[in-house]
Amino acid sequence: MIKKGLTILMALCVCLSLLAGDGEYAVAKIPAALLKNANVVKRFGETRYEVGSYTKMKVYEKIVITILNENGDGFAGLYKYYDKFRSIKSIEGKIYDAAGKEIKSLKTKDVEDRSAVSEISLMEDSRVKIHHFYHRIYPYTVEYEVVVEFATTFMFPAWFPQSAEKYAVEKSNIVISVPEGFTFRYKTFNYTGEPLVSPTNEGKSYTWQINNLSAILKEYAAPEWPHLTTCIYFSPDKFELGGYKGAMDSWNALGQFQLQLNQGRDKLPEVIKQKVHQLTDGLTEPKEKIKILYEYLQKNTRYISVQLGIGGLQPFDAAYVTAKAYGDCKALSNYMFALLKEADIKSCYTQIKSGEGEYFFLTDFPSDQFNHIILCVPLANDTVWLECTSQTLPAGYLSGFTGNRPALAVDENGGHLIHTPRYGIKENIQHRNINATLSEDGTLFVKAATTYGGLQQDNIHGLINNLSKDKVKEYLHEQLDFATYDITRFTYAENKTGTPTINESLDIAVTNYATITGKRLFIVPNVMTRTGRKLTADEERKYDIVFTSDYQDVDSVEITIPPGFAPESMPQAVAISNKFGKYDCSVKLSGNKLFYYRSIERYAGQFPAKEYGDLVKFYEAMYKADRSKVVLVKQETTKGF
Amino acid sequence: MKRKLFFSILFFFTVASATIAQDKLKIKFGNVTAEDFKPTVYPVDSNATVVIIADIGSTEIIGNTKGSFSLLFKNYRRAHILNKNGYDIGNVEIRLYTNGESEEELDNLKAVTYNLENGKVVQTKLEIKTAVFKDKVNKNLVIKKFTFPNIKEGSIIEYEYKIKSDFIFNLQPWDFQGEYPRLWSEYNFAMPGFYNYVTLSQGYHPYTIKTSTTSRGNFNMADNRGSGATERANFSANVVDYRWAMKDIPALKEESYTSTLRNHISRIEFQLASIGEPFTPRQVMSTWKMVAKELLDDEDFGVQLSRDNDWLNDAMSLALLGATTNLSKAKKIYEWVRDNFTCTNYNSKYLAQPLKNVLKNKNGNVAEINLLLTAMLRKANIQAHPVLLSTRSHGYTHSVYPLMDRYNYVICRTEIEGKEFYLDAAETGMGFGKLGYKCYNGYARIISPGAEEIDLNASLLKETKSTTVFVINDEKGNSIGSIQQTPGYFESFRLRGLAKEKGKEQVFTEFKKALGEDIKLSNTRIDSLGKYDEPLAIAFDIDFAGDKEDIIYFNPMLGEGFKENPFKSAERYYPVEMPYTIDETYNLQMEIPKGYVVDELPRGAVVKFNEQEDATFEYRLSQSGGNISFRSRLVIKKAYFLPEEYEVLREFFALVVKKQGEQIVFKKKATP
Repeated sequence: MIKKGLTILMALCVCLSLLAGDGEYAVAKIPAALLKNANVVKRFGETRYEVGSYTKMKVYEKIVITILNENGDGFAGLYKYYDKFRSIKSIEGKIYDAAGKEIKSLKTKDVEDRSAVSEISLMEDSRVKIHHFYHRIYPYTVEYEVVVEFATTFMFPAWFPQSAEKYAVEKSNIVISVPEGFTFRYKTFNYTGEPLVSPTNEGKSYTWQINNLSAILKEYAAPEWPHLTTCIYFSPDKFELGGYKGAMDSWNALGQFQLQLNQGRDKLPEVIKQKVHQLTDGLTEPKEKIKILYEYLQKNTRYISVQLGIGGLQPFDAAYVTAKAYGDCKALSNYMFALLKEADIKSCYTQIKSGEGEYFFLTDFPSDQFNHIILCVPLANDTVWLECTSQTLPAGYLSGFTGNRPALAVDENGGHLIHTPRYGIKENIQHRNINATLSEDGTLFVKAATTYGGLQQDNIHGLINNLSKDKVKEYLHEQLDFATYDITRFTYAENKTGTPTINESLDIAVTNYATITGKRLFIVPNVMTRTGRKLTADEERKYDIVFTSDYQDVDSVEITIPPGFAPESMPQAVAISNKFGKYDCSVKLSGNKLFYYRSIERYAGQFPAKEYGDLVKFYEAMYKADRSKVVLVKQETTKGF
Repeated sequence: MKRKLFFSILFFFTVASATIAQDKLKIKFGNVTAEDFKPTVYPVDSNATVVIIADIGSTEIIGNTKGSFSLLFKNYRRAHILNKNGYDIGNVEIRLYTNGESEEELDNLKAVTYNLENGKVVQTKLEIKTAVFKDKVNKNLVIKKFTFPNIKEGSIIEYEYKIKSDFIFNLQPWDFQGEYPRLWSEYNFAMPGFYNYVTLSQGYHPYTIKTSTTSRGNFNMADNRGSGATERANFSANVVDYRWAMKDIPALKEESYTSTLRNHISRIEFQLASIGEPFTPRQVMSTWKMVAKELLDDEDFGVQLSRDNDWLNDAMSLALLGATTNLSKAKKIYEWVRDNFTCTNYNSKYLAQPLKNVLKNKNGNVAEINLLLTAMLRKANIQAHPVLLSTRSHGYTHSVYPLMDRYNYVICRTEIEGKEFYLDAAETGMGFGKLGYKCYNGYARIISPGAEEIDLNASLLKETKSTTVFVINDEKGNSIGSIQQTPGYFESFRLRGLAKEKGKEQVFTEFKKALGEDIKLSNTRIDSLGKYDEPLAIAFDIDFAGDKEDIIYFNPMLGEGFKENPFKSAERYYPVEMPYTIDETYNLQMEIPKGYVVDELPRGAVVKFNEQEDATFEYRLSQSGGNISFRSRLVIKKAYFLPEEYEVLREFFALVVKKQGEQIVFKKKATP
């Protein structure tokens, strides 16, 4: 009663609100240390997984988050996805002002319901509920409570109390309660101590809790997010999904589950079987057969994703792909598996976590960490890898999308982890030869022949195989770092092997490339390969430096200049070699020809944070050297007699 | 009668200019032969990944069972897929709208893929029942999606469908030009005498066919919505069959400084203008005055503006905070709305919720926010009107006809003490009386009883930037100096955003980057960061810390100016649409570094784009005693350049880039 009276008084007299005792979520109550570098502070977070049975799990989530400035607005809203296996039971929300006083609460009709079919799919059954308070007076605090019911225990989302940088956390916990006999595993990062385990009516509950995580600032080439923040991964030992029972207490068991889903889906129509024999019966080498069948797949199918129900994990069968000539990664891999099987070649349906730079993987923690399917074809003393969704990749090459990481290969015995090929400094190359002529008016006519290899050719491979010639030219126009120029000719030739290369040949006319004044000529001899990266060393480096791939660039440049010039200022040769890499460049004038050579090797590896200063210097030196100018002076011609 | 006359005049041009009637295109659904697969390259575009063989649409007006009329739109399309990069055309989306009362229905969808296998044409049909998906995007929009089965390089695909639509005001426009080149594109419209639509066509591609013929048509309507017996009505009326066709239409490519390709593609569109016999004749669209009046009475637009709106009282006292003059009141109200509301949709001309809810929810679309602003200004007895416009990316409006489809944005105009101000409270960080350049896109309309037209022309908008630099020798003989800069208003707007998001230092990080390694910045200052009405004032000191080499190469622009030519393509097929005009001045006064002499000075230059001096560039440099004066000024007086002016414009910028890249050479004095 007294409290109520107080509230009325506050409403009458706004100016007193600060004196009258702030609400629970008053901004003034945030510990000062959490405000540093933060756009938002999670005041309280609670997640509860209440497992009822293998086909029922209630997930209760509460989040109270203070938005300190407009850069934090992105965290103020609610985006809750749902589909056939997840239904949203309730959503509640409130918003508080800086003093912690409630401004208003969420009305169900303000929650928007939208289709959430992703960009890559034709159709999915995923939808999203969206809500936002759209408040603009900072700071403010929003509170959401959501209850979601899962019809499966397959999905056991990891706990990330701190979901992004510039995001501090005051208090957050997760409680997992399971019935008797339901077992699961967990793996923690940056969490000290053991969970609090207490008995419940049905079984046990486990509680993890953290307090006062200060905001993290992301750094260039930092380790992956789970290494920087507190997080916990979970994995049930057994589960049920869409009528299928499975286990993931070992990689083998998880593979068995997939095997079960794929059961009987590899039956090819007779006409395709004949086609397989027609294509391969004359060949003896398995590698030849694989290549022919892979090319057949690429020519006759395309990638179209339809994800409905358990379709997220179970491939459409081989007959479907035959009829439609399309499928997603599962359907196409399964189809390729069937084609190979018909040719008596054993292959493994392989689950992988795809994406450029997506190397984070828990090898010692069997769980569903995958988002993509490829095919692995083990041969007597070699393994061939096939990306079945690509229309253009050479057989055996995986690219940066799935290369260099663990994957779960499934065979008739279940699953086992294997590692996809790593592309190193010998493969990831860019070797360029430039032959250029400078005219009297400063225009440089460039003929550049470049060989790209390994990961360095991925981008160009995508470009030339997916874009029309006009678009490729447009792209080149965006990429080349010249002021005014015309590309007069460009061609590409692909060498499609397991370690592919692409030869590019460019003719470019660069207007005013060199400045020619009355008597001087200014020219940057490094025509095309200039490092664009400049690091700042203002703040103290906190995290290790991680480079996941290595590469090598070599440039040899020969520029013919108008006759009669002598050097006035020539850049010094630079040679740097350290643990991050190796850089050399040099230039000389010989007659009316400028010869420039540049080479850089950058190594993969993890380097201690304290060496960041050296890295900054390394990049700085390269940045400067790559742009240094040659200055030539016109020779006074001595008058003859 | 008069009305009919009005429209027959409109259409007169269409009919009169119609050329020889040509035969119908000999393309029929299912009639694909081996011959059709032969071409691997088409002359219309040798780089094409897909060529649309035929794209044929038609609209007729039919009676429905709701006691009124519906539009029946039919589309037929055949395309030849030449290589893998063209597979995307096989993914089709058909958008169907509903608003609760009126709806759109898809019917008679048929889709077939044809492949040539061993010299024979093989068909694969789309399974309509299982392979057409329905994606309910939100309560007003459903997308029907499908992909063609069995697509390969060289496939021919074909589809057709009908859409029955109750939205009689939204007669399907027709794009003759698009992402892929077309061999044949045709649109037919059967316009009954009782519904008059205005047609408008645009683009640079000529019509091959442009005809109209008149016949008699029968119309049947029914109304079975009531509880009683179904009411029926049958009658006949004149119908004019219009036909427009083009052939060999290349795709347009987007170049730099293009507001939107929509301004340039060949396209025809329609607007319902009047209803005639046998119905009570009435104008649906005749003048802007009528449209304005309707909008002002419309629940979803202006009706609230003429009311007392006492629900605004609390907000008014919060916003006004003791302001007294009309100008200061207007500013306070504008700032309050701008700073307290979130714009959730910048593409809107109607209210989706009552203004009262907008006030409560603190968010709304751009129309909602600026109509609330208008209501609040009026509440404070300040004259204010909404203004309807089309943003640059949405394309041009029509100068005469009130074609509502062409508009997508609402701002507010107020007049205080004889001075007019345009306000956009939906744009965070925008100053009082300022509009984003996206609003400067030609004709806009004041929604008031007078419905006056205003011309928000990009050529009226000037981005003025000035930079002043002083460099002297300090007592130790080092070169030091200071830079003062007033960026243009839009550049200031961008930098304010940057400072807010990433911190003030980030602004100077940009300067640091431009100035290079050897110049150190100190004493950095930014003024007017919070004064949104004004451009920023930026100042800092510089120190040339580099080693004292024998020869110093010094670019007097100190990182300012153009470093690359904004016009990359060698050719241009449609006009250059710049967002504003430009006036950039750069001045430098410097003492020659101690112990050095000038060895070489870049030559001065004055460049004029044309005799009218639509663009000029001045580059002047002089030495007098131990001092150098330098000035660079770039003035672009208009924002719109025709394709025939392009080549010169590109050369002009090439010269600007070249001159601004030149260096002064200082040489160490020979020791005596």
